[in-house]
Parts: sequence; C-alpha cells; structure tokens
Amino acid sequence: MNMMGNVVMALRGISSNWLRSLLTMLGVLIGVAAVIVLLAVGTGSSEAVAKSINSLGTNTLTVFSGGRTTSQTGTKSSNATLSSTDVKLIGDSNNAPDVQSVSPVISTNETATYSGATYSTSVIGSTPSYLPASNYSISAGRSISSADVKSHAQVVDLGSSVTSSLFPTGSNPLGKQIQLGSSEFTVVGLLASKGSSGLSNGDAVVIAPYTAVQDQLTGQSQSFSELLVQGKSSATLTLAQSEVESILAAQNNTTVANLPFSVLNQASLLSTATSSSKTFTALLGWVAAVSLLVGAIGVMNIMLVTVTERTREIGIRKAIGAPKSVVLSQFLIEAVVISMLGGVIGILAGLVVVRFKIDGVQPVLATYSIPLAFGVALLVGVFAGLYPAYRAASLRPIDALRYE
Amino acid sequence: MTLLTDSNRQRGTDGETGTANAGKYAVIALADIVKRYQMGGHDVFATRGVSLVVPRGEFVAIMGASGSGKSTLMNIIGCLDVPTSGHYRLDGVNIRDLDDSELSRIRNRKIGFVFQGFNLLARMSAVQNVELPMAYAGLRAKDRRARAEVALKTVGLADRMGHFPSEMSGGQQQRVAIARAIATNPALILADEPTGNLDTSSTIDVMSMFADLHDQGRTIVMITHEEDVAAYATRVVRLRDGVIIGDHQRVPIHARDDHMAHVQAATARLDDRELPS
Repeated sequence: MNMMGNVVMALRGISSNWLRSLLTMLGVLIGVAAVIVLLAVGTGSSEAVAKSINSLGTNTLTVFSGGRTTSQTGTKSSNATLSSTDVKLIGDSNNAPDVQSVSPVISTNETATYSGATYSTSVIGSTPSYLPASNYSISAGRSISSADVKSHAQVVDLGSSVTSSLFPTGSNPLGKQIQLGSSEFTVVGLLASKGSSGLSNGDAVVIAPYTAVQDQLTGQSQSFSELLVQGKSSATLTLAQSEVESILAAQNNTTVANLPFSVLNQASLLSTATSSSKTFTALLGWVAAVSLLVGAIGVMNIMLVTVTERTREIGIRKAIGAPKSVVLSQFLIEAVVISMLGGVIGILAGLVVVRFKIDGVQPVLATYSIPLAFGVALLVGVFAGLYPAYRAASLRPIDALRYE
Repeated sequence: MTLLTDSNRQRGTDGETGTANAGKYAVIALADIVKRYQMGGHDVFATRGVSLVVPRGEFVAIMGASGSGKSTLMNIIGCLDVPTSGHYRLDGVNIRDLDDSELSRIRNRKIGFVFQGFNLLARMSAVQNVELPMAYAGLRAKDRRARAEVALKTVGLADRMGHFPSEMSGGQQQRVAIARAIATNPALILADEPTGNLDTSSTIDVMSMFADLHDQGRTIVMITHEEDVAAYATRVVRLRDGVIIGDHQRVPIHARDDHMAHVQAATARLDDRELPS
C-alpha cells in the first residue's frame, strides 16, 4: 500500500464524517491562527515601541536639567542649570570628539492662534541642529537658521498637526503671522509629519529659535530645560555619553556619579524596550501554544473515537492481510491530514486577521511564524495520531471482527 | 504477480510433504491441535486434540453446534489465532512461531476469506473491495484492477463494479466477498457460515458458486451448522466438545440427480416457516 493510496483513504475517511472532521480541525485551526496573530501582535507592538523611541531622534542623548536621585547619596541637586557655556563646551570637538551636535532646548506649552483658529501645542526653542537630531524634516519653506537664533528672530517651523489645525487645507501658511501666547511669530517652514508614535504626537509642535522663545515666552535668560546631544554613530553613543557627563561634572565641580542632571541614552532605552517586548512576544507565543495543545488533544480524542468506531473495518483489513505497519500508517496519516488541513486553513485565517488593527496595534507578520505554525501542526498530527494508530494496529483480528 | 506462483514454488521446494504426497498434496495438515483458554482461573478447552488433513481440491464442511469448537478451529485454520499446542501446516508452511506480521502475510497470500457478515468495507466500491488484499500484497494499481475485474466477472457482477455495498443485496455482497477471496488465487478458500445472513435463493446462488469453484479445482473449507448447506461439500467433518466425532466423504448435492428437487424442498420449507408471521 503506497503513500498516495493512504492519503486518498485518509481523505475519504475525513470526508465521510465531514462535520466531525471540521470541528476537530477547528481546534488546530484556531491554535495555528493564534500563533500567527499573537506573534504578529507582539512583533507589531515592539516595532511600534521602537518607532516611538526612534522618533526621539537618531543616536541622541537627552540631558535634563532636573536633578536625578542617585542611589548612593539619595540627595537631589536641583540648583544646577544647563547653561550656554555647557553647550559651547560639549559642542567643542576637542572636548567631546564623539559628539556630532548639541542643541539647547527650552520647551513650553502655548496656545497657537491664527485668524480665530486655536491649537494647544508644545513650543520648542532651540537651534537649527535640533531638527535633524530629532528626525524632523522640512516639507516646505526653510528651517530656522543660526542667523535667526543670533538675531532673536520671531520665526517658527510648524509641525504638521499645528498646520492642519490652524490653516485650511489648500492655503499657504508660509509667511503668515501666527500668535503664540501674546507674541507674533512668522511661519517660515513646515515640518513633514513624523506620524503618531503611540506615546506622543510628534507633530503637535512648533520650533522657534531659543533666543526668541526666551525673549517672548519663558523669560529665562541663561539656562535651558534640556540639551539634545547627537552622537556621531550608534556605536560611539555610550562614549559620547561619558564625554558629556564628564564635561558637565567638571562644570558643576562634582563627580559623574553625583551629576545633578539625568542623561537619557536613546540606544540603551531602545535595547531595554526591545528586550521587554521580546518577553511580551514570547508570552503571547506560549498562550498560542497552549491553544494548539488543546487542539492536539481534540485530534487525539477524535482519533480514539474513530479507531473504536472502525474496529470492525480494522478487523477486516487485518484478516485479509493488512500488516500492522499499514494499519498504523493509515490512522497516523489520517490524524496528520486532519491537523495539516487545520494548520493550512489556520495560516490563511491568520494572514487575514493580521491585516487588521488589534487593540490599537497594527500586527506585523513574523515570517518565521508560518513555517513554525505549519511544523507545529504537523507535529500535533503525529503526536495526536500515534497512540490511537498504535491501538488500531495492535487490535487482534478475531477480536476486531467480533466487535459489533 | 509473485504471490500467485507462491504456493507452487513452496510445493516444489518442500521435500517433506512434496515428495511423499506428490499427488495428494495436503493444503491443511492439523496435528493434535489443542486450544486452551483461561477463564476465571479455570482452563477451558476449545479444541482437545484435533487432527485433520485436507488435500488439494477438496470441499470440506466443518459442522457442529455452538460450543463445539468449530469457530476456534476456523480461527486457527485461518491463521487468525494460534493453537496452544499441536502442529499446523498450511500449504506446506509451518504456522507455529510466526509473529503478527508474518501471520498477516500468510493470510494475505494463502487464504481467501468469506465471512457470514460479508465484511466488505462500506466506504469502498465493489471493485475497490476486491482490490484491497492485492493492494496489501503490493500489486501495482493497474494489475490489481485488471484481476479484480476478472474476479467480479467470474461471480457475475461485471455490471456492479462501481457499486457500494450499501447499494447491493446480501447475495450480491457475498458474491463480492467471494470475488475478493479468489482474486489473489489463494491455496485455500475459508468460508465461515457464508450463507448465515442470506435468504434461500441467495443461499443457492452462493452455494452454486462454491460448487463451481470446487469444480475448478479449488480447495474450500466451510464452517456451517446447516445440513442443506453442508450438502454441497464433498466431505463433512463433525465436531463436538472440541473433538472430531465424524468424517465422511460423500457425493455433493449438485452432482446428484435430485439437486433441483432438493432446492425446491428447501425453498418450500422456508416458505412454510414464513407463512404464519
């Protein structure tokens, strides 16, 4: 008896009781679809987290003026400030050879107004290097310039959310005067959309020269709320961090350990987020594996019932000369065919479900999940079919023929 | 096609029986067969030393009431069960000390089974049922289809090849079973109450077919408890309490002049039985 004959016979067995076969298949189908969908949700959410961290900028360090609590002393130094001297020192390539650029940041929240339309937005006062470091690109007009910073020019680049809220579609905002708080600023450039990152809306922003923001909005003259430092490459970002930290420690007469600023390293943040989302994805995978196990038990259960139901058939086959191995493979193949059919339909169902957003996360199909799910479906069939098939093959023909 | 010459080759190489009984080569040689079961701590004997030799070409009816051991004997002759003690040679092959898969092979190559309940596979057509033992023997699909068609023509079912058992009468199903039994050209046709589930006309139909097979030189062993059916055999062996109590050669009914009278009488008796209901 060849393989094809066995598969044909198994298909005939499956179709002779199609409703039961379908319900059995459903267990494997749901399990396999769950593997694909949950792994895709895990991958999708970890990509979303990575994207939102990447939207902070490329290879950036953020130095916050707020002090940090150190575990050694438990003290908090809040009197230290980030000054323009710090910016100058960090920007000097002799002091910090691995730093690409440093941008002082003053941030505040203001209501932007244009001919009656208002929009509450965050206002970033900085230098031109802030834009490339934070991954902002200009879609129209120009970026704020060093000359603007020097001349305290009241000019702004508008984030795309601000643009669309203040200006009707089709109109040209360039050159128009908008009001931030009580001051007037001229729109010189529009920022391309970064897209919502899930954590914050990077498009609800207005970027202006820090000098103008200090003059018109915040009033602070010497200190910055944060410094955005861009490293030369991701490989040397840790090196750049230690250079920045030692410069700031020297400026404040303290050690790096007691630095009164907190430094956020984008690369280490990313790796922490990546490892936690890996755990999350693995957890989802295990949940899916449990549902596959339940499916496998379903297949095994039905195969045991099938063997009992077909005891007489097994007796006939053995009486007319079917060897043990043929009976074994017949039932094994039947179990494998059921679970493989369930697996294939499950994969197709998974591929369909993955196209839709689930709970705010756009699933991203993990390519390895398809061969994984298919392989597991195959294993489920073998595992679930082996014992019932062995039982069938071991039946004694005289007992099986007598069975009613 | 090797299985079809298997028995001939065995005969040639088997010196023990081959040369001694060149003319009357025994298909079945049972010597002192004992089958003992354990039942509730007691030994129960199904057969207590049965010895029987069936030469090639005989049509033997084994008769006995229930509990006489005829079913056990049939299982042993059919290689479905092995005796507790004693020797059994089937077509020259010693059946003792064979494992499960070797017994399967022997059943496949040497025996054609015809059961009381037909025992056809419901999900297969007539021709597929007839092909099944040849598939287990490893014949190629084309060869077994051709042989199955010849066998079905032999039993007069050339126009029913694609039918499923549920679409056929009992007599037709039993004829498919006979086709299945003869398609492999076995050394022995073993029938277990082949007419037990059939009406009178189908019984005569099926028994005439066995008679034809016997005329063609086939060896047939049939288990039955009906005298009418046993009348078709050339030899009747009677069992009681696990031992042989009678063994007679006789002229089979279909060779006698009063065959049709016998058939009519049997039909009339059955009609009488059915009238009151």
